[in-house]
Amino acid sequence: MQKYYYTNGVTTFGPFTLEELIKEHISRDTKVWFQELSEWQPAGNVPELSVLFKDTPPPYTYTASPRPLAAESVPVEQLNEAPPKSWLTESILVTLFCCLPFGIVGIVNAAKVESRFYAKDYDGAFKASEEAKKWTTLGFWVGIVVGIIYVIVVGYATIVRNH
Amino acid sequence: MPPLSGTIKTYIKWIGALLLLSFLIIIYKRYSPIDSSWFPKCPFRSLTGLQCPGCGSQRAIHDLLNLDILGAFRENALMVVSIPYIVTAFIFESIHHPTSKLLKWRKALFGVKAIYLIFVLVIGFWILRNLL
Repeated sequence: MQKYYYTNGVTTFGPFTLEELIKEHISRDTKVWFQELSEWQPAGNVPELSVLFKDTPPPYTYTASPRPLAAESVPVEQLNEAPPKSWLTESILVTLFCCLPFGIVGIVNAAKVESRFYAKDYDGAFKASEEAKKWTTLGFWVGIVVGIIYVIVVGYATIVRNH
Repeated sequence: MPPLSGTIKTYIKWIGALLLLSFLIIIYKRYSPIDSSWFPKCPFRSLTGLQCPGCGSQRAIHDLLNLDILGAFRENALMVVSIPYIVTAFIFESIHHPTSKLLKWRKALFGVKAIYLIFVLVIGFWILRNLL
């Protein structure tokens, strides 16, 4: 089954099935990739994705004086791009409901995502986002596993006491 | 014919999460973590006797589910205050192609300065709740 990815130049979204990709409402200019493409291509140029734009008219280009492509020259902030996921909310939840140390590491990395992104260090922001994801998901699963073990131990102790 | 198995997997994930959430809501509404020994205890508090910033969250959830907002505040004010903030953050995150105005709000509410403030609040709450 084909899985599709798309990118806003900073963050890559996906994998999506074709059905899910339709719901993402990407534009013809959005760069997409899937297994059969050698590199990222504007979605409008990919015949397999023509179903996405069957209701959208093709872009009108004024041929006499073609406008330069915006994507190459405009800085990311002006393209209305949000930083990569900072995992801030997940970090706060992990701090309040589970494991303080993991949550704090998550919050610190969330700060790094934001500061690096707005300092135009997109690689660094992406790395901090990955780091934040690692610690918050670790905190989440540690919380779940410890919670389950706790309930099992209490249950066992209750049974032993009643016998 | 678009492939379906990915969509079905997503549905199963959401249904599973929803079932677990409803189960937890029923448990936390019906039973108080004060009276029952079934609720996990905070390891930091068990070891040191001091409260961590998350202590009282389970009791606060119990109070909130029973519409006792003041009680929840007494158990863990930080947790209660963070709920509207976290809901707002999730709404912002769900918008994939924000306008520049939304992006400005996003930066103000969830940018690096806001995160530093949260960090200070968490640590400050941690110290103060053990002193007062």
